[in-house]
Amino acid sequence: MTDPLVIFDVALALAIVALAVAALSVRDLFAMIVLFVVFGLLSALAWVRLSAPDVALAEAAIGAGVTGALLLKTLHHLRYVSGTLGQQAAYGVTPLTPVPIGVTLANAIFCGLITLGLAVAYLGAPAAGPGFDALVAEAMPRSGVDHPVTGVLLNFRAYDTLMEVVVLLAAVVAVWQIERGVSDAPAPVLGEVWQGFARLALPATVVVGTYLLWVGAEAPGGAFQGGAVLAAVGLLLLLTRAYVPQPTHRGIARGAFVLGTGVFALVALLVASGGRVAFEYPLEHAKTLILLIEGMVTISIAVTLAALFHGREPVAQTKGGRDDT
Amino acid sequence: MSVELSPMILAIFLPLFGAIAAFIAPRAAWSIGLATLAATTGAVIWLARDVWAKGAVMLPLGGWGAPLGIDLRADGLSVAMLALTSAVGFLVSIAALDSLKDAARQRQYFWPLWLLLLTGMNGVYLSTDLFNLYVMIEVIALAAVGLTVLNGTRDALRAGLEYMYASILGALLFLMGVGFVYLHLGRLDFAGLAGAEVSGSLIAAMALMFVGLALKIALFPLHFWLPAAHANATAPASALLSGLVVKAALYIVLRLAQYMPFPSETLLTLVGLMGAGAVIWGGIQALRAERLKLLVAWSTVAQIGLIFVAFARAGEMGLTESWKAAALLILAHGVAKAAMFLAAGRIKDEIGHDVIRDLDRAPIRPTLAQFTFALAAISLIGLPPSLGFIGKWSLMEGAMAAGYWHWVAVTMAGTLLSVAYFSRVLTAFLRFDRVRAPVGEHQGWALADAAPLTLALAAIGLGLMAAPLLSFIEIGYPFGVAQ
Repeated sequence: MTDPLVIFDVALALAIVALAVAALSVRDLFAMIVLFVVFGLLSALAWVRLSAPDVALAEAAIGAGVTGALLLKTLHHLRYVSGTLGQQAAYGVTPLTPVPIGVTLANAIFCGLITLGLAVAYLGAPAAGPGFDALVAEAMPRSGVDHPVTGVLLNFRAYDTLMEVVVLLAAVVAVWQIERGVSDAPAPVLGEVWQGFARLALPATVVVGTYLLWVGAEAPGGAFQGGAVLAAVGLLLLLTRAYVPQPTHRGIARGAFVLGTGVFALVALLVASGGRVAFEYPLEHAKTLILLIEGMVTISIAVTLAALFHGREPVAQTKGGRDDT
Repeated sequence: MSVELSPMILAIFLPLFGAIAAFIAPRAAWSIGLATLAATTGAVIWLARDVWAKGAVMLPLGGWGAPLGIDLRADGLSVAMLALTSAVGFLVSIAALDSLKDAARQRQYFWPLWLLLLTGMNGVYLSTDLFNLYVMIEVIALAAVGLTVLNGTRDALRAGLEYMYASILGALLFLMGVGFVYLHLGRLDFAGLAGAEVSGSLIAAMALMFVGLALKIALFPLHFWLPAAHANATAPASALLSGLVVKAALYIVLRLAQYMPFPSETLLTLVGLMGAGAVIWGGIQALRAERLKLLVAWSTVAQIGLIFVAFARAGEMGLTESWKAAALLILAHGVAKAAMFLAAGRIKDEIGHDVIRDLDRAPIRPTLAQFTFALAAISLIGLPPSLGFIGKWSLMEGAMAAGYWHWVAVTMAGTLLSVAYFSRVLTAFLRFDRVRAPVGEHQGWALADAAPLTLALAAIGLGLMAAPLLSFIEIGYPFGVAQ
């Protein structure tokens, strides 16, 4: 007897591949982004089917949500600088010079070899490897949290997670340092429906984001997922122009970017006393410390993602008016 | 309650806190940066003393221990790479003080990016975990891309974007390889790799990791991004990128070869052939380059190729010794190339351009920078007594002993090519009869030449200390022996 879910899984896998192909082959950039977002959502569903709800949440919030917003913002900017902002026509980018056949061939060979390597690695891999499961299960009582993923991310392998947060910090520093000569595209005109939506969505998003962070200690969720959802609040504020970044806010923004990394690293260092080493939280305080770290990291992630959406260091407004920052 | 510190923790956390401080307080960024570099160098010296006295040292982070947790480990090779990074980094930082003095924005952002880069590199050299290595190379990648586009020119931005694509693709390939290795072994620490059973699919996973790293190292034919990125960055950034950043991925290859069940002779020969291709192709492109910095960047491609030739020089059996030749060449190239890029930047600053054909037509002669460039070239060509010479010598010695004359031929060809392309620059320095400067010969000396000159002198002088250096990098490095 076939499990009906198998049919669902096969259909899901086929749909994901088909969406990837469609996103790569469509010429209209807007359609491409929409396909990519749908691709991300279906991938999130696939993660659920793979019993990895934490990854699914992250994929939906970051892979589909924030990335989609970043891509749409970039498209808006591209249309602005190319002067096609008001036009309804599809906007595709064709390379100025055709790609030489040699380059295409070399790329094809490279990709072919990689695919071959992946295929060989996949076909010979054991279906279910030994993994960390037993080790994690055994160490969980000493971790201070109840959810294994949080235990791994914030305790057993907290060092990796700290460095992941550093990656995000490096990204925002790199983005801020690029001085862009061109001004921002004017924000799109928002309709009445939008204002109502923002009024409803903003408080709900705050609640969802905070809940995701809080629940991370015992169920799927955590700093990255919560931060991404809270970043949506920032995106809405930026889009509705309820908040316009000012040069005077740079100091606060810098502080918010480094808050997560700083607190995380400080905690990791300061627990190293009385025979303990760095990252070794005393068990009685482990949950408090992990929550403190996660809370600070969530704030940093939310502010950083929103700043990446804004895409530049806030500069002084030009005389042109509100729409010409 | 006092906090117990370990030099390994300090080597990673000092630059991290430094980066945070430099980012929050942009006005004081340079002083924070220099202080951090000095303190990090101190931590590395402390660690070197520990390793010298006790052999390899370990630190299980969080007290969990591998494979559940992550261990930090330092042996002779790690310390040598850390020392290279902090010494070269410190001198490049001093040089950066001068070369960025007129660019407020660059000066503000150079320090946090560079300190984050240092965090990532030190993390790589102390890591014993595959996934941790992936995270570290991501930190390095983003900070390095930031440094590439620091001067904000259109060419630099374009090159930086290409570099980012290559770098992220490389990291993803590495990650996929790591994923498959985890599926096989159920653990990510190096020790778990040592006892692994070799199968076709495990080799395929390692090949994926290697290709990912090769993209980051810019090993021929995956070098396409490097020349533009290194040539268009601002001089101190170029010195860091060419002298240090590519070494992090090179080190990972060297380190993994220690623990991984080794692939067949054929694969090793293939790696050597890619290196040989880089030596020849990089040499030819350096001969054709019109600009000084582009020539130096292409010579990086060729020199990286040589390091892989050194790795493959004596086949599978000789690997227990070959890694030392490769390590020496890594150290030699790191010091000499940083000196050379800084000198090239100084020459460009003084003369106002870096078109090789017109170098001898300039009324100004930045003599000290030219001298520095020549010294660095001597080490890169491999003339005695430089460290480059020792590296090349041990390469050829091993190849000859194993009867692998083709690698000797490649090395010779590479050496001749490097003489040829550096001569293009050096002759332009020597022919000063074209234009006489009205105000004497010795223009363009500046305190800014001190740091590159020190580096270049070190590249030559370290050759005299090769024997103690070699015995140091062997500490705690049981090649091919499971821990």
